[in-house]
Amino acid sequence: MNVMSNRPRRSSVSPSNISKRRHKPDYWLIIFPSALLVVGLIVVYSISPGLAAQKGVTENYYASKQLIAVLLGITSFIIASQIPIQKWKNYRRTLIILSVVASLAVLLFGDKVNGAYRWIQIGGFSFQAVELIKFTILIWLASFLYDRWQNGEINNSNKTLKPLLLLLLIVTLVVANPKIQSDLGSTGVIVAMMAGMSFVACLPFKRIMLIALIVITGTTILVASSSYRRDRLQTFIQPQRDCQNTGYQSCQALIAVGSGGLFGKGLAHSVQAYGYLPEAANDSIFAIYAEKFGFIGVSVIMIAFAVFFTRIKYVIERAPDVYTRLIAAGVLAWLSTQAIINIGAMIGLLPLKGITLPFISYGGTSIIFVMAAIGIVFNISRYTTYTANTDLEKIEGKKIEGSTDRRRDRRTYYATTSRRT
Amino acid sequence: MISEKNNSFMGPLSRIRFWYAILLIVIAVFLVRLFYLQVIRHDYYESSALSSQLKEYEIPAKRGVIEVHSGDTIVPIVLNETKYTLFADPKYIKNIDQVAEELQKVIGGDTSELKNKISTPDTRYVVLAKRLDKETSEKINNLDIKGVGTRETDYRTYPQGQLAAQLLGFVNDEAEGKYGVEQALNNELKGKPGLLKAITDAQGVPLASQKDNVLVESSEGNRVVLTIDIGLQQQLEDLLKKGLDNAQSSSGGALIMDARTGEIKAMANFPTYDPSKYNQVEDASLFTNPVVSAPLEVGSIMKPLTTAAAINQGLVDRNSSYFDPGYFVIDDAKITNIEEVGGAATKTVQDIIQQSLNTGATWLLMQMGGGQVNEKARNIWYDYMTNHYRLGKQTGIEQGYEAEGSIPDPNDGFGLNIQYANSSFGQGMTATPLQMAAAFASVLNGGKYYKPTIVDKLVSSDGAVDDKLPVVLNENVISEQTSKELRDILEYAFSKNHTFYGMPNLRPQYLMGGKTGTAQIPKPGGGYYDDKYNGTFLGFVGGNQVEYVVAVRVDEPKIGGYAGSRAAAPIAMGLLNTLIDNYGVTPRN
Repeated sequence: MNVMSNRPRRSSVSPSNISKRRHKPDYWLIIFPSALLVVGLIVVYSISPGLAAQKGVTENYYASKQLIAVLLGITSFIIASQIPIQKWKNYRRTLIILSVVASLAVLLFGDKVNGAYRWIQIGGFSFQAVELIKFTILIWLASFLYDRWQNGEINNSNKTLKPLLLLLLIVTLVVANPKIQSDLGSTGVIVAMMAGMSFVACLPFKRIMLIALIVITGTTILVASSSYRRDRLQTFIQPQRDCQNTGYQSCQALIAVGSGGLFGKGLAHSVQAYGYLPEAANDSIFAIYAEKFGFIGVSVIMIAFAVFFTRIKYVIERAPDVYTRLIAAGVLAWLSTQAIINIGAMIGLLPLKGITLPFISYGGTSIIFVMAAIGIVFNISRYTTYTANTDLEKIEGKKIEGSTDRRRDRRTYYATTSRRT
Repeated sequence: MISEKNNSFMGPLSRIRFWYAILLIVIAVFLVRLFYLQVIRHDYYESSALSSQLKEYEIPAKRGVIEVHSGDTIVPIVLNETKYTLFADPKYIKNIDQVAEELQKVIGGDTSELKNKISTPDTRYVVLAKRLDKETSEKINNLDIKGVGTRETDYRTYPQGQLAAQLLGFVNDEAEGKYGVEQALNNELKGKPGLLKAITDAQGVPLASQKDNVLVESSEGNRVVLTIDIGLQQQLEDLLKKGLDNAQSSSGGALIMDARTGEIKAMANFPTYDPSKYNQVEDASLFTNPVVSAPLEVGSIMKPLTTAAAINQGLVDRNSSYFDPGYFVIDDAKITNIEEVGGAATKTVQDIIQQSLNTGATWLLMQMGGGQVNEKARNIWYDYMTNHYRLGKQTGIEQGYEAEGSIPDPNDGFGLNIQYANSSFGQGMTATPLQMAAAFASVLNGGKYYKPTIVDKLVSSDGAVDDKLPVVLNENVISEQTSKELRDILEYAFSKNHTFYGMPNLRPQYLMGGKTGTAQIPKPGGGYYDDKYNGTFLGFVGGNQVEYVVAVRVDEPKIGGYAGSRAAAPIAMGLLNTLIDNYGVTPRN
């Protein structure tokens, strides 16, 4: 594991000034996303002609757009990883304004697809507002919870719980609302981000249960309020019941996955991508991948995701302060939930949601913001501590008794996979 | 694990690890599920996949062409031509109005009709236009409209136009031969379709990337060479048309058969149709070939057959004489002759033919019964009609919808004697001109019944030739001696009557003859019209032997006089002269 080679900590750092404790970042945080991006690019490239034939565009239309998306993603990764972490707090207002503008823009100028407004066309590319919203919530929530934590107000209903519920309400009205974005998948991701970050911020368990209750009730109402969601739920419960209509995508996804077998049909031999499985490049790309590469290939991807999540988990554990820990936790919640919702639908364990598989699915907006988020985590990994930090007060330089003081440790700091304690 | 000091339920690290554990469990569950789907249930999903992805296509074989003789050479009369069918997949067409307008500019026609077709619900395939030429097809493809395409379809094309349309038949949109040769030889012509088993996309287009595609090439259908001579066919159609006009008849037919082989040399009817526009024909009866498929009461052309039967039975010879009372009453019905023949007189057998005596034919029938029309007479005559002359059953000519005609049962029914007396001169029974021609040929050629045929040979796509040799269905219809006597009687009758037939001068170096028929037309409810007749004629020409037989029918001519001699005979004379003048009938030596 020498990739995560280290840099000796300077002995003269001030504990509150984390920028002074900079060391080599965790390069696995580049390697895994890059590998997954390449996998996505290859799959999109291989099915691009088939998709293009259906839409009447040139053969490599999808592949070239995905390549541009990947390049934009890499750019956003580089930019995000260069911005000093603490500065993100200052961008939250700008991000909120941008999110509001984007939400209004999709509502006013967006493409209406299946009764929902999710995309807006910008210079040949479609921009999905909810990806910006997720990123905004990541930054805002980290700052917010950090403030509350710093002021010792995490247990305060008025100061913490109520704003969280208000955010939930806003998200529900904008993202989940069947008349606007109607995006329950992304709502789920945002809720998971809120839950994950609040959980890590040590929001009292009772509060979390309360929020969970509200979410469950809200979801039930939302599902009951939209006929197409009811269909999807029905489909999820009994996908084989109506393979021709509402269950079509679920059935075709299962056929794609199942027909892949142990070794897969081979890169060039996907059939389901040729008009059978809807959204073959976007929401359903995992099923196409499973058809091409079989259980072996799928295991590689699943393990890659698992290891990648593990690397983020290390960053969360070893984050130099509460703020960065919350950001990393938010990113993990974001990516893992999105992957689970996407893959779960493809293998018939979760209802279908129109949601992309991070890094792999066709689509620029998702890649750009996911890569920006990874960029921030990558930046944080430059400042991780040698061991997991139990004690948030400690690393924030606050007085608290009885925990391991890493500054008494004579060894250098490593950002490492192995637990040394 | 580092010890934790936190007042909440769990410290931050244990919360992170708890969350992480759940995440890993979910991933593990997903992997188990994937293993279940991809390994354990693989066969099920593989067969599910194939059931929708694997499609079998029949690759249509190229249909064999049809050729005819033109003197010593062979020329095509039916060929194939590739045209294009314009189709749409409504699912992919968003802007129906625009697409309809763009297409209308290329193919013409009605925009709103196109819109309607494109708007057809619940379908993925709508045919918008057929028989487009290659240029139009390319123009459409250049428009590059999503959900619109063209596909190749072979159509029959007719280099000789309408010529011989009814004997050829046509090929419908389902690539099935209908009527005529196309129907009768559909199996030979259509070839063997190939098979493509292929993994396809959702639209059914085979995917090139799949390695398990199965392809069995189609094999082209046989080329059919007909016995028809195109020049003779043209002459026959011209003469028929002219003759029908002259006789003021709206329909009729004629055929020329080689009496030595049973081969049909020309065969046509009027009115007819244009096979390249068969789909615009409103009256489906135009598709039939009436000389083969429309039996009629043939009238006096039956008399040579009755005479031949009586002679062959050894009951009479050509000069046998009898007293003709001018009428017979049988089963309370009166059989009379035409006015010109006059009253009671002594007649000979050859008078029966020459003067077309109904009473004479009845008298011949009586001889078969030992002096009266009775069960014995009926059964002998029935045997001749059905077994010797093969009436009442299909000849087996290679034509769609051949009719059998009907011969009354000799032992079952009412008024059998009068029915049989009528049948002795061609009433009360029906036959097609083809059946009559074939029987007539057998009577004239020495007693051999050749199966009427229109096919000379079949040539398979690999060049193997299947020559269709003449088939004799009955070696001994009548004896050679009877046959000779019939030729003499008919030649004698012709020498007396030719001027009435529209042939002013005999051509003594040729053996020629014929018999008219003026048949009363039965009313649908029974009985006959008083003023409606069909004119028929059976003729022959040859030298030392009879070479060709011609049969003509003219339906309800308005021209005055007897339909047989005034309407049908002139057409037959034209045909006989043409055969002599242009088709090398060998003169006597």
